[in-house]
Amino acid sequence: MQQTNQFQMEQQSGITLLHIQGDITAHSEPVILEAYKKVDEQETAQKILIQFEEDAYINSGGIAVLIQILAHTQKKNQAIGITGLSDHFKKIFNMVGISKFAGIYNTVEDAITAMS
Amino acid sequence: MPLSSSFLFKGLSESQLQRLTAAVNEIQVQKGQWLFQEGKIGDRVYVIKSGAVEMLTKVNGEYELPIKIIRSKGGCFGTSALVPPHQYSLSAKCAEDATLLEIGREDLEKISTEDSALGCAIMQNLAQHLLARLKETRQELKIHFKTLFRSMHT
Repeated sequence: MQQTNQFQMEQQSGITLLHIQGDITAHSEPVILEAYKKVDEQETAQKILIQFEEDAYINSGGIAVLIQILAHTQKKNQAIGITGLSDHFKKIFNMVGISKFAGIYNTVEDAITAMS
Repeated sequence: MPLSSSFLFKGLSESQLQRLTAAVNEIQVQKGQWLFQEGKIGDRVYVIKSGAVEMLTKVNGEYELPIKIIRSKGGCFGTSALVPPHQYSLSAKCAEDATLLEIGREDLEKISTEDSALGCAIMQNLAQHLLARLKETRQELKIHFKTLFRSMHT
């Protein structure tokens, strides 16, 4: 079944926080790209923290969408962090190599401290 | 929970659903328990009554890539058991303690042979489901291609 996602943005300590609701799949691509576009327009776009919901499920399609975003951030030399992942997904992100391109943090506070 | 809430049994009559229900076995599974492994012979199909099941695929024998989580009542999995070569195309792991309804492939084939309209409806529902999955997989592939092309042209 096709999922719908929503996002919200806020600024904290020079970092743009992007809260993303819902499971992340290939169907999430338009919403995530739109969210990234909006973040990219911010003055604080050099540091981006993506926050997922704790029970969000991220499948292989969702991982493909995140890799696409990471390719954009790499190109623009933007620092990117990810938080809100369950232990299950932290392990998967390490295995697929996402953690080499994005900092994985337990909490928003940890991320802000590390990224500031 | 009626079987009619599952996509696989959509459109079946009450009497057809009753025949299937008689072949159903209810089982309890705990979080973390594997139900089946990718590539193994598929001998049953499952319907979720409660709980959640995650579908995974192994990459290079190194890690399990998450494909899907089925949380909804009536969610059905293990359907690759119904088509030759009757092998599970993904692995299934219980993500939350669950109550499942299982139906043996041989029972389902027997009922389908005796009632060809039932068998035809199930196969049509399965084809529709697989088509949607194929569409999603194509979408995923397009995302990877976009990333690849962008990285090659910058």
